[in-house]
Amino acid sequence: MNGFLLWVCAIGPALLAEALLARYEVLAYGAGWRAPTTALPEGVPYARGAAPDRPPGAYLVYLDGIGKRRFRDSRDGGLLVKALIAGAPELRVLGQVLPYSPLADPLAERPVWAWLRRRIGLLLFLHNVMQTFVAADHRYRPLYNRAVGSQIATQLRLAGYQPDSGIPVVLLSYSGGAQVAGGAVDELHTQLRSPLLLITLGGFHNGANDLSRAEQLHQLTSASDRIERVGTWIFPQRWRLFRGSAWNRAIRAGKITVHRLDPATHVGPRSYISPTARLPDGRSHLDRTADTVIALIRAHHNATVPTDDLLP
Amino acid sequence: MPLIVVALLLLAGVSEAVGRILPLAVRRPGMSRTLVASFMLAGGLVEGAVFALWPLTAWTLAELVLSSPPPGEELVWTPGLVAPLMLAAVLAFPLLGPFLHLLLFVGAGAGLVSPLAAATGLGWWGAAGCVAVAGAGLGVAVEAVRRLVVRISAAEARVSVA
Repeated sequence: MNGFLLWVCAIGPALLAEALLARYEVLAYGAGWRAPTTALPEGVPYARGAAPDRPPGAYLVYLDGIGKRRFRDSRDGGLLVKALIAGAPELRVLGQVLPYSPLADPLAERPVWAWLRRRIGLLLFLHNVMQTFVAADHRYRPLYNRAVGSQIATQLRLAGYQPDSGIPVVLLSYSGGAQVAGGAVDELHTQLRSPLLLITLGGFHNGANDLSRAEQLHQLTSASDRIERVGTWIFPQRWRLFRGSAWNRAIRAGKITVHRLDPATHVGPRSYISPTARLPDGRSHLDRTADTVIALIRAHHNATVPTDDLLP
Repeated sequence: MPLIVVALLLLAGVSEAVGRILPLAVRRPGMSRTLVASFMLAGGLVEGAVFALWPLTAWTLAELVLSSPPPGEELVWTPGLVAPLMLAAVLAFPLLGPFLHLLLFVGAGAGLVSPLAAATGLGWWGAAGCVAVAGAGLGVAVEAVRRLVVRISAAEARVSVA
């Protein structure tokens, strides 16, 4: 009972306040009160992997889960990015996009949040969860999508991407990053006219974003991923009943391909990105996820460019 | 009407306006903070007035239903009954806002039912019907006005651009 009272009296109002304040960034962006950040801190490169002096096989933008709170990679996301760079040197990889900040303002560097991080670190995750909900809400979604889509387009340009170059852009999203990845499709197509490939890893999204301008979406999932499954339950657009939803239209158009990464979980020591959990073939979950992502990108690349243009 | 109730109705109206106007404001570029604040204040006055009319409208409906004048005193807001409406800004809550807003209004309406039933002798369900119809009617009326204002302002904006 005491726990319940604590929840109602302390955590409940905090949740309410956080949810109401969570919209401030998208409001400030929409009204033009603040311009999004474009420059990265000193020492953070605009892209890693393939050298900028020749066209890469693809640009890969990694949109992290709710742990993302600064331009640098989060602990788990960083492992995946490193594995991808090591396994696919032909890719130019961007990990600096902040999916949960329409103003590209790192949460960890805001004074109040830095203070909170030292005392109630859980609130930073909560903030990013709420941003996912803001991005999924039909009233804020168009603006949120435009904000983060512009952020990705800007970072791609700064990393050397030439609009109309035809080089594929891959949006690899983990968990709540999938909501933002789907939302960024239209803006990226408008600004860069790039071929777009989406790969979701335990993707948590509401299925409302139009994917018609994406070439394909590969859904990496697992029967043990409860968080991804919650997304399929709570968002009506993900239900088969709503045949007209963007997600169901994409399924009917053959744009969604499901790949099972059983028995990986969403988070924890057996997660998709775990370097310690082992498969029967001896690979770690991290290795398998990286291998799968690389294979999907190379298969897509092979299918869309002439063979003699392929990179090694 | 006691001053405290007037103040609470104004706060509830501003709260409702915050919940309604901010989601719209985020879609429009060039909205200064002053403009947003003035919209919220103006909207708050209108919403507060609509809230003030809710018990009065329910009472009028009860009078129409009854064949003889109600025996009790007219239904009015009390501080305890109107206070929950100050959370009306919950409408802007991401994803769950409209549902939470509906729950809040069902709760506030339920608070009006017992005093109305006691004052009119209608019975709980009859009074609940009057409160629900009054609330829904006011909601639909104010929504119609909102849409009209949006349509007129959009048409004016198109004319000024042309």
